[in-house]
Amino acid sequence: MADNWKRFLISGVIVAFFVLLPVVIEMGTDTMNLLVMLFIYIILAQSWNLMGGYTGLFNLGMAAFFGCGALTTHFLWAAGAHFYLAMLAGGIIAVVLAGIIGLPSLRLRGMYFAIGTLALAEALRLTVGNVFPRTIYMPSTYFVDFSLVPRYYLALAVAIIALMTVYIVANSRLGLALLATRDDEEAAQVTGVNIFKYKVIVFAISAFLAGLAGGVYTFYRLSLSPVAQFTPHWTFDPLMATCIGGAGTLTGPILGCVFFVIIQNWFALTLGKAHYIVLGILFILVILFLPGGMVEGVDRIRRFLTRLTGRKPEAKGELY
Amino acid sequence: MLEISNIDVYYGDFQALWDVSLAVGDGEIVTLIGSNGAGKSTILKTISGLLKPKTGSITYDGIRLNRLPAHKIVELGICMVPEGRRLFPQMSVLENLEVGAFLSQARQVKGDTLNWVYEIFPVLRERAKQPAGTLSGGEQQMLAIARGLMSQPKLLLLDEMSLGLGPLLVQDISRVISEINKLKGITIFLVEQNVRLALALADRGYILENGRIVDQGDAKVLWSSDSVKNAYLGVGPVTEKG
Amino acid sequence: METAIQIITYGVIVGAVYGLVAVGLALLLGVMKYLNIAHGTFIMLGGYIAFWLFTLWHIDPFVSIPLVMLGMFIVGLILYRVLLSPLLKSPVGLRIGNSMLITFGLLWVLDNAATWLWTSNVRSITTSYTGEVLNIFGVKLPYTGLAGFGLALLVIFALHLLLTKTYFGKSVRATTQDPEAANLMGINIGRTYLISCGIAIMLAGVAGAVIVSSYSITPAGGLNWLLIAMIVVVLAGEENINGVFAAGLVLGLVEAVSVFVTGASYREVIGLVMFVLVLMFRPQGLFTRRVRGT
Repeated sequence: MADNWKRFLISGVIVAFFVLLPVVIEMGTDTMNLLVMLFIYIILAQSWNLMGGYTGLFNLGMAAFFGCGALTTHFLWAAGAHFYLAMLAGGIIAVVLAGIIGLPSLRLRGMYFAIGTLALAEALRLTVGNVFPRTIYMPSTYFVDFSLVPRYYLALAVAIIALMTVYIVANSRLGLALLATRDDEEAAQVTGVNIFKYKVIVFAISAFLAGLAGGVYTFYRLSLSPVAQFTPHWTFDPLMATCIGGAGTLTGPILGCVFFVIIQNWFALTLGKAHYIVLGILFILVILFLPGGMVEGVDRIRRFLTRLTGRKPEAKGELY
Repeated sequence: MLEISNIDVYYGDFQALWDVSLAVGDGEIVTLIGSNGAGKSTILKTISGLLKPKTGSITYDGIRLNRLPAHKIVELGICMVPEGRRLFPQMSVLENLEVGAFLSQARQVKGDTLNWVYEIFPVLRERAKQPAGTLSGGEQQMLAIARGLMSQPKLLLLDEMSLGLGPLLVQDISRVISEINKLKGITIFLVEQNVRLALALADRGYILENGRIVDQGDAKVLWSSDSVKNAYLGVGPVTEKG
Repeated sequence: METAIQIITYGVIVGAVYGLVAVGLALLLGVMKYLNIAHGTFIMLGGYIAFWLFTLWHIDPFVSIPLVMLGMFIVGLILYRVLLSPLLKSPVGLRIGNSMLITFGLLWVLDNAATWLWTSNVRSITTSYTGEVLNIFGVKLPYTGLAGFGLALLVIFALHLLLTKTYFGKSVRATTQDPEAANLMGINIGRTYLISCGIAIMLAGVAGAVIVSSYSITPAGGLNWLLIAMIVVVLAGEENINGVFAAGLVLGLVEAVSVFVTGASYREVIGLVMFVLVLMFRPQGLFTRRVRGT
């Protein structure tokens, strides 16, 4: 019990840090942009984590929900709706899309679900590219008074919502069902768990978060080339980050995204796209040797150190 | 010819065989009987190399089998007919037999072996072009044994060959086993739940219970022993022997 | 009527290439139950080998194919040794998932390495006969298309012969259907996997050589071809290597007709939608007759 309070305290401190950061320090636009993108990645990573990490459903079409949310938010906002409503609508439309894509594809097992979602997302991308080939701009009134600060806080807020969602799901009965499904779907079914219902629910939640992320991105960028939000890298980047960090945990995706963004920016100064090569190799190494990702790595180091000091290592557990 | 000395075999952390020792001599028919889950298939899988013993040794004509991969053990002349037949369902009867003769030395005499096998099991010649998955249970068992014979084995391991077969068919197949042992000198080690069949066919037998050998001896002597009654009925006191 | 024949011809030529593109993926999937997400990337790699052989040493792409095959076969062997065989230790249930993740990582590394080395410029090979057509009864048959068709037919037929008439081929099929039983026949399944992987990547390379002359290649183009390969594999039926050519033709024809009806911009969409429909309603494929396994 004391453990939980300790965790809440640490999380609280970290959150407070990020909330107060822009107020206390004069951050450059570079840093702020970096943090906004980090928060967006975290939202997407946790969205994928819910399905891929906790449930074992590899959704390779997440970009579709991100793009959908972005596009919906854009149109509604440009039409004059209050931004928060537009963003919410973006999330909801993403859920509707999830229903359309999900209900048929959730019947597919493992591998076919992955490539089915990829195929549908690509089909959607091509269609959007045909229907909206040009960049769409917000009316210029929206550009006045542009400040990164509200973007920062919005992204931070939604990221916190995403984290809380995953925390709540993971510790609920839903979470238990999802983990059971991931480990052995047939066994879970036989114990009376309604697998299909839970898959639909987690798909909907995941899509909603991705849709919100799209809305945040629209708020951040203002003008978009619609099709760019549907490109597969919006699925693959968070996927990579999540797996490197540790899929199926709460902190894994966070660690992974931080790592991802740092490497991305570090290399961008030197080798351009080469950072993907490094990340790709790392990803492969993680899958082969450290499937639990950085979270498992940290755990192992912790236990090793504990053993060195002579204390009995505590039972192996996930962070959160 | 085949000597198993004090082996322990594990599935992961779970120990399935405890200090098992047995021997099969040239030209004999030896059987291993015991109830379901006693560990009989485990012994055959270990001999054929699909599992490795943690301790102890298995030697065949003096050659140590412990570390050899399964396909190398087949090259030595040991062939297992697995439980449940494990045919290649989409390949034809003939192709299954051909794959059975995969080893180069068996491939060379494939034609002769094929003729011999068709003599023993004429129905296979009739169904030569049919996919193996379309055969009846009894025909599949015959094909499985025939496929095993294609590799020109010196020691044939039979895992529960009577499973799911009617009594007449079981009799036919027993007769065939007896013939190939007498006429071709192929040593047979069969694992069976059907105790009557096993002891009628075999020269000697071992009884396995909960992963341990609890009795052994001449087949006729075993037939009237207490341990066989226990194994046959699957009930009775757990005997701590040996 | 003439347009109908032209459409069908186009569909058949394209479809044959689609079959060739898919056959390597189908082989690896059938034998090892691994889904090679980097399959499209290997196709691009084969294309680049053919491209550089042509650009630097003026070797005609169809002539350089044996070299491409050799090179890619070796790549396949390395791929198996380094990345895929460690996965065999993991339990069967996780294997497909892990293979997808690993080959996905590989896709990233290779795609971006290719971009870094060779830029993302679109490459294609223009020979003396590129763009030339054979005109039979008013139907236009491009030379490169015919060569691609012929090659696809040849390669797939050769593979079929290998799998049915040779002992190695039978050992591959046996391993596909029951690896443990195959092991008991004296088949070294590790070696079977190794060589099958080599062949699968080699086939991808051949497809790449055809594509670089009939279409074009870029480092990022692999994903596109992967999707096409997956569509064909699903249409054919998961372990049905025989049906791959026919399934490729089906896809080619469907695309050809849809281009005529809805225009080129929706060509891929139709294919992808059909893919999902088949997955949902006839997951065993269009060309398998009954459910697999005993």
